[in-house]
Amino acid sequence: MPDLDRILEESWRRVRRKHLFPELPAPVWSDGDDRVGLDVRRKRIHLSRPFVLSASPELENHEVVEGLLDHAVSHHTFCPWNFAVHLRLYGRAKAVLRKKETALRALDAFMDVAADTYCVNAKTGPLPKIYRHLSRSPLDEILHGVYQELWQVDLGIAGTSDLCRRLSRLPYLDRRKWDDSVTRFSKLLRPILEETARDSGDAPCAMGRHGLSRYAPDDIAAGLEQLAAESSGPSEFIELVTDFQDEIHAAAEGSRSGMGRGTGRTFSADRLYYMKLAESFSLPVRRITTELSGSLYPHHHTPWEAGQPVRDMDPWTSFGKILPGITQTWTRVEGRISGPEQKVPDCLIVIDSSASMKNPALCLSHAVLGAACACDAYLRNGAEVAVYNFSDASAGGKRLLPFSRNREEIYETLCHFFGGGTRIRPEDMEPLQTSPPADLFLITDMQLTNLDVLIQYLTTCRNRVTAVHIGMNEQIHSFRGSVQGRNNVDVHAVERMEDIPRIVLGKVGEYLAIREPFQTTSGGKP
Amino acid sequence: MRNPFYDFGPDRYVRQKGAAESSMRNRERILDRLMNGYRRLIDEEAQNLLWPVEHERILRAYTASMERIADFIPEAGDIEEFCALLDGDESSLWVPGPAGVFLSALVNASSETKLELRLKDYGRRFHFLGYLLPEGKTLELNGDAGDFCGAALDGGRLVVGGSTGDWCGAGMLRGTVLIRGDSGEHTGIWMQGGIIHVDGPIRGMGEPRFGGEIRTGEPDSSEEGAGATSSC
Repeated sequence: MPDLDRILEESWRRVRRKHLFPELPAPVWSDGDDRVGLDVRRKRIHLSRPFVLSASPELENHEVVEGLLDHAVSHHTFCPWNFAVHLRLYGRAKAVLRKKETALRALDAFMDVAADTYCVNAKTGPLPKIYRHLSRSPLDEILHGVYQELWQVDLGIAGTSDLCRRLSRLPYLDRRKWDDSVTRFSKLLRPILEETARDSGDAPCAMGRHGLSRYAPDDIAAGLEQLAAESSGPSEFIELVTDFQDEIHAAAEGSRSGMGRGTGRTFSADRLYYMKLAESFSLPVRRITTELSGSLYPHHHTPWEAGQPVRDMDPWTSFGKILPGITQTWTRVEGRISGPEQKVPDCLIVIDSSASMKNPALCLSHAVLGAACACDAYLRNGAEVAVYNFSDASAGGKRLLPFSRNREEIYETLCHFFGGGTRIRPEDMEPLQTSPPADLFLITDMQLTNLDVLIQYLTTCRNRVTAVHIGMNEQIHSFRGSVQGRNNVDVHAVERMEDIPRIVLGKVGEYLAIREPFQTTSGGKP
Repeated sequence: MRNPFYDFGPDRYVRQKGAAESSMRNRERILDRLMNGYRRLIDEEAQNLLWPVEHERILRAYTASMERIADFIPEAGDIEEFCALLDGDESSLWVPGPAGVFLSALVNASSETKLELRLKDYGRRFHFLGYLLPEGKTLELNGDAGDFCGAALDGGRLVVGGSTGDWCGAGMLRGTVLIRGDSGEHTGIWMQGGIIHVDGPIRGMGEPRFGGEIRTGEPDSSEEGAGATSSC
């Protein structure tokens, strides 16, 4: 019986060095299937012991292990690279193949070809040897033919087909062209994929499937944020994410087990879209102030000059030399420690979701996005947020969320779209008036049937109010005239829809940065 | 103490360049060259992306296309990748008339005698396919073709697996056009010779015609032809 643990340890050391030390935890053995070589869960590679032991006698164990590790690490370092790219490529494959399962299979195949080609092209390893001795399904036969054409290595495929030649011409090594490449790959492979789906169902390939469980929760959160920023609108994001709601939940929550009542779960892709998009506008507001600690610590490098003490020289950045101008010395500064926490006001978001506003589930609603940015800023600063979402409030078209720090609830209330008339009931907001008064954000197009009531309410309340309106109409003139001269009300005219997030962010910044001058993020994506 | 950055030293890591990368770079060079030629063509011929279809203009575009690829013999794969690029997201590349004429020039300049274009893989409809297709060349279109398919066909053999748009075989000189599906309006207009065979219905015959034949129904053995096709 070979010492597989020692083999794995040595192989991992070689593979890590070869792939320039990727940030991956050490792989482990699993007693999985002898048909599937590996599985990646939350970035950790699980190698199948039965697969390695049952590999062809022509292969040494360490070759199989190293090849599998090469394959897994190449997925991490090259294709798909991260969760956002994974979902984006899936979207391309799905657009061609329509069915989720077929698209996933095409994507798995594409990512395998890209990652393995990268690995074989740029690194030396036993991967071609493994492919030469694997048993092949009809789909594998095609893919291995593609490898043979691409790598110019004999994998034992007799007479590669026309399809293999076509597939081998795609630029797998060019990341910028992956979107087009995966589209063409799916089109070319469609007949084989559909045939495979009919004949062998969901049979896994030797190198395993590439589910979303491979990503850590942090990767998923960052990937969703990137995906939301890159999507042309909520519908594109929703279409991609809805297909994977179970996987995203499972990957994010992991294998939580225990007794008692669970938290339950709901999934709304449009809510997730605005939540993630708002995160890309995150405000750099400090929650706590800092004060000097009185002790010095090395802070930054400056060139050493003759006559300065040698005590603070940094040999690591000095090329092993003591020469003025080349040698670096540490400059020490006084450390800062946490001081008393600042009070950040809570926020009441009043959002108009009448028919004249955009439906946030169908297209990008800048009103919802603006409100989401404000929410995000307050929540990040430890404050609570309440939401009053109204359409025709007198007829029951309203949703009221008391002060809360539950993001899911807040975003769900923000994203709710009534699409009816526009009538506000200030008395609905009375229960949300606290002491000290919360900040009030009003986002509407001002086409309210009872605008005078709103004006009267805003001029009498003690809250600091930021009113953001869209476009320009008669009601807005009336509103502006009425609140003119009021110190607690700021009105922003928005000529372009994309201005909403910027204005809201600016106001939040002014409110929240109490001691230190606030710097807003500029150039953020709308 | 061992330098922890030893493994990152420039002499420790030599980047390999395998067969896959070399062949990808070669293909990129070829494709860049094709795209440059095509871009120049649309810059010269289609100002403001407008390209009225006129006989003189088509001929000039074809001549210019042939000049762009004069010292280059395209392979089947190059033509397929060019089609895929035209079908991509970059809409500024898509000027239907010059695109089809340039594509026909590539087909005609190719050393391969039998070519297949998998049109069903593309979202866009290509026009002018088979324009001036010379004798001894067979072009198989797997899918539906656009307008002016087989226009001025010059002895070649054009097989359309699907249907064609309008003006099919316009000004055709000689050779054969086989259409498995339907053909559109003005089929065979200004035709001077050759045969157009349409399996399906013809929406409208072109007038005037100066020669040649237009047939419908099952094609006979001389029209069917035989032999394997090299694909592109």
